Amino acid sequence: MAQTQESVVERELTMSRAMVEAIAHEMREDEEVFYMGEDVADYGGIFDSTAGLREEFGYDRIMDVPISETAYLGAAVGAAQAGMRPIAELMFVDFFGVAMDQVYNQMAKNTYMSGGNVSVPMVLTTAVGGYYNDAAQHSQTLYGTFAHLPGMKVVVPSTAYDAKGLMHNAVRDDDPVVYMFHKRLMGIGWMPAPDGPKTPVPETDYTIPFGSADVKREGADVTIVTLGLHVHRALEAAESLAEDGVDCEVVDLRTLVPLDDETILESVGKTGRLVVVDEDYRSFGVTGEIVARVAESSLADLEAVERVAAADVPIPYARPLENEMLPSTDDIEAAVQDTQS
Amino acid sequence: MSDTDTVAVEVDQYWPDDADEDEGIVSTWFVREGATVEEGDLLCEIQVEKVDADVLAPTDGTLDEILVPEDGEFARGDVLARIEPS
Repeated sequence: MAQTQESVVERELTMSRAMVEAIAHEMREDEEVFYMGEDVADYGGIFDSTAGLREEFGYDRIMDVPISETAYLGAAVGAAQAGMRPIAELMFVDFFGVAMDQVYNQMAKNTYMSGGNVSVPMVLTTAVGGYYNDAAQHSQTLYGTFAHLPGMKVVVPSTAYDAKGLMHNAVRDDDPVVYMFHKRLMGIGWMPAPDGPKTPVPETDYTIPFGSADVKREGADVTIVTLGLHVHRALEAAESLAEDGVDCEVVDLRTLVPLDDETILESVGKTGRLVVVDEDYRSFGVTGEIVARVAESSLADLEAVERVAAADVPIPYARPLENEMLPSTDDIEAAVQDTQS
Repeated sequence: MSDTDTVAVEVDQYWPDDADEDEGIVSTWFVREGATVEEGDLLCEIQVEKVDADVLAPTDGTLDEILVPEDGEFARGDVLARIEPS
């Protein structure tokens, strides 16, 4: 059967496969693109972030590195400044502390500190998120930590379609991009994803510009602003709330830096009620930032504000405790209901 | 349509050589029933004894029926889906 250009995409991909497809495409197009990290070659990434790449591109371009984040992230910064386009993976975002100088002071600032004499066109990929009982040092998202410091773009995809377009954009960007993928969205056999992240994905390349939030569900009564895994939790809450007659709009930020204020303000202008949902810690983070921006720009629009975030404590190992402290679909529903009274 | 008109997607050829297990699960379907597929297209990912394998379309055609759904279990010798050849 003849396929037309406009034919509906029938193929669906998991988020990990969509990411890998974009990386493979960029590597075929540009030999300066390479990937390095812990267990990314033979293992294919412990969350399938590089599955199959070593088989196609070999060990020179898909490099396993020793367990020294400061050494290999520093090497990536240097390679980027020398004209390559490295993708370096921090296995768990929680490990960033040992490479903090390379990330915060070198990767993020070298363009500025050199007076624009060097660019740092690298992508720092990293796995984030909890809900699988891996305790306090392997379950954080730390979205706010990375979005806080100037000099890095911060990307958080929620679906396979977005993951591919954002990855193409990340590799082609001439400045450092932190690409934070949620483990629970990747579609790994041993960590099943919720319904939602697996979407139709075109085989051709395409980019999603940074700073463009996506309204994943339109609604008139309440705006839920969120990102990553909680896009799907919010959509689930919205379905349930619709049965109670509450019509939620779900805004997926997709990038924290740059942040699409316009889409948020437009939505709140329509609904008057704002619920911000974040898997990161409650204090000094994404929820406070979004609420503050809306308050600064559109205070008169706001009739009610709620935020749903992780409690300010280390993430527990025990399942009932972890479930209690991280935001759930029920927590989102309750917060939305609170804006209705 | 009778089974004889369709091509079976058999799981046995994807069974990991060193697996002792006689059961596995389908972790992900990448195409839905009714979708058009070409020989070699990725159909689904299976997992046997923690080993993943990609199951490919054995022929051009239409995915007529998925017999083992996502998270569903299968055993050696099972048919995962049937394809109506084009």
